[in-house]
Amino acid sequence: MGAAPAYMAKLGLFEGYDTGSFYDEMFATSGHPRPQYFKLFQRLAAMAPEQFEERRKLADLSFLIQGITFTVYRDGRGTERLFPFDLIPRILPHSEWERIDRGLSQRVLALNLFLQDVYGKQRIFQDRRIPRSLVYSCPHFRREVIGVEVPRGIHTHICGIDLVRDSKTGEFCVLEDNVRTPSGISYVLENRIVMTRTFPDAFQDCEVLPVNHYTGELSRILRSLSPRGENEAQIVLLTPGIHNSAYFEHSFLAQQMGIELVEGRDLIVDGGVVYMKTIRGLTRVDVIYRRVDDEFLDSLTFRSDSILGVPGLMGAYRAGNVALANAVGNGVADDKAIYAYVPEFIRYYLGEEPVLRSVETYICAKPDELAYVLDHLSDLVVKTVGESGGYGMLIGPASERNRIAEFRERIQANPRNYIAQPVVPLSRVPSYDSGERCIGGRHVDLRPYCLYDGEKVTIVPGGLTRVALQRDSLVVNSSQGGGSKDTWVLRGEN
Amino acid sequence: MLSRIAESLFWLARYIERAEGTARILDVNYHMLLEQSQQSYHLRWEPLIVMAGEEDRFRKLYAEANGENVFEFLAFRPDNPSAIVQCISKARENARTIRDRISREMWEDVNGLFYLANSYIPRDEVAAGPHRFCDKIKFGAHRFHGVTDATLPHDEGWEFLRAGWALERAEMTARLVDVQYHNLLDGPPAAAALDNHQWMAVLRSVGAYEAYHRQYHPPIEPEKVAEMLILHPQHPHSIRFSAAEVQAALRAVSGSGRGSYANEAERLAGRLVERLSYDRIGEIFQQGLHGYLNDVLRMCGSIGGDIARTYFYYAVVA
Repeated sequence: MGAAPAYMAKLGLFEGYDTGSFYDEMFATSGHPRPQYFKLFQRLAAMAPEQFEERRKLADLSFLIQGITFTVYRDGRGTERLFPFDLIPRILPHSEWERIDRGLSQRVLALNLFLQDVYGKQRIFQDRRIPRSLVYSCPHFRREVIGVEVPRGIHTHICGIDLVRDSKTGEFCVLEDNVRTPSGISYVLENRIVMTRTFPDAFQDCEVLPVNHYTGELSRILRSLSPRGENEAQIVLLTPGIHNSAYFEHSFLAQQMGIELVEGRDLIVDGGVVYMKTIRGLTRVDVIYRRVDDEFLDSLTFRSDSILGVPGLMGAYRAGNVALANAVGNGVADDKAIYAYVPEFIRYYLGEEPVLRSVETYICAKPDELAYVLDHLSDLVVKTVGESGGYGMLIGPASERNRIAEFRERIQANPRNYIAQPVVPLSRVPSYDSGERCIGGRHVDLRPYCLYDGEKVTIVPGGLTRVALQRDSLVVNSSQGGGSKDTWVLRGEN
Repeated sequence: MLSRIAESLFWLARYIERAEGTARILDVNYHMLLEQSQQSYHLRWEPLIVMAGEEDRFRKLYAEANGENVFEFLAFRPDNPSAIVQCISKARENARTIRDRISREMWEDVNGLFYLANSYIPRDEVAAGPHRFCDKIKFGAHRFHGVTDATLPHDEGWEFLRAGWALERAEMTARLVDVQYHNLLDGPPAAAALDNHQWMAVLRSVGAYEAYHRQYHPPIEPEKVAEMLILHPQHPHSIRFSAAEVQAALRAVSGSGRGSYANEAERLAGRLVERLSYDRIGEIFQQGLHGYLNDVLRMCGSIGGDIARTYFYYAVVA
């Protein structure tokens, strides 16, 4: 390593920044930025701490006034919080993104084919690539939709696939699939807007690929599903309502696409057709982008105590009178035990090798793997198969002995409900720590959003970079103290 | 338009207007307090509680109705659903459920007003008196009107906002006049003989002071002030003007023309406008002002109920 180029001699805000033993997205080694970060580094390093602080406050105020908040339920009241936004973006050079794009497209296609198969002919069981019992025992497997043909064969219209960069190899791998009702895209779009207002100068230096075509593409896909044809498509977004943690996103997407935002009580099923209640009477609904989970969709088919859905909706769905995006029953594909088989799906359905690696996974339903997991609990991450949002998780190395013991009992009582993975040392990005008033390395993941129209997969460049703002924390979920960053994919390499 | 959205627009406007009206009434009372500094006249605060329909709740919380208690109760108390801050919270809640349907500017404005209203420390404001706080609320409500007018398409959604605004304003003005007449005419005899500062304050509170002077000659007389606030055809705070706005908004939604009505709400609104157009202030006083205003309030209540039955609620169908 030679001396740093003269223009980089000044570290400014990054004085004393330590990359630690992790892969740092910004610095190859302490004080030496990676090529994709050269230009931004120069700008930030030239900035006085007060200037940086000022821009940070500006960004926060902008989020607050726009009401870009999410709801937390920990205190039982449902309090609105700002989703913390960190000003230092995560930057990916084009070549790296290109590989991610290829890997995700492949994965989405395979997941969609798996769902078609498992709710259709079930060839995969006959060919013994996955045990039927493992699929049928998924908490989110829906027998009710076996044999239901979905419009244009699309199950996975919208997927959010979580990637992490493993510090040991520097390589991106898939951590989990979210193919039910993934959320977060609104933050991607709003983060970018706030970022261009806060750091307009930085965008002039770097050629950052745009993200704002997402809602247009989604709107086009939803329209194409209409049973009455595209010209008559009445599309709605079904939200659980204002108290849902992702409510901001629901209203944001409805507004961007110019579709009606509805709650269950706005809809009614009559004669196998879905209508919405307007001031001029009932209006037929063709496509529902639903952000309500399967089990709450229809109290006649699923949970009878649900007031969030529409009684009779599944009847209209089966009759083909209304399209739902995403399809019902997708939870079987993002079950954390099924996850271990996705590379096999890619080989089986597509005849290709997976581009992106998966994290090694121990399925507790298998006796030998269960034995290994129970022996190594303090080294592993244990996850509940049907949960998301960072709930129902044990991070072995960071947990107290009695918590590990508690998990041991839970796993033994119901092994099918758990999987375990080695701890992935997530890469880090320099982030502002408002407690310590300095910039430190914080762990990040990446959730790109994939749209599938039945032929090709479209992924807006980048996605949501979630960051664990607490020092040393590996949990990036917003419900657990995580924040987000803008993610830049460059047109070139730097 | 979804019924739920129409309903939220209607209530968004009503809550903003209610917050503004309450701020006005508090502010008027405060001004009167300043004007009467040398008098032995005792200002009555109870009618404000009666006006808000919150006597029971108030009595549970406070021993007496004085300026501080009533201000705190009507402006801030979290357990008083009619308090200004609560009205603004509810307005914002309604706006939040339809933020995809209103303009971004409207949402940001009402959201900003929500944070502003919640930033005050009740104890400090009570000590400072209502003017500072109430003035901000009035200004905030005016700005929201302006932002709405300038950024929302004037389609049927806008008409539901307008109906909500006008209906609430008709009610608030009726209450304001009623409360002030109680205060000033039913008080001890000395009060009636006071000079007309109180009436100036009433006029100023609705921004009608200058308009009054263009219309009438001095001195300011209670009957003329009442005439102005109840029957004036053009002043935006008069009951007649507000009732005509409700009628116009409802007609714009249903498309019914002059001399006809499409539903019960329109029929009642039409009747109210006719009454206010042809009644004379002298007759109203002869008949009894309080009774007359009560009638107006009852009719407004019915109009609100009929709007809901016509446009918002669906009987369970199968």
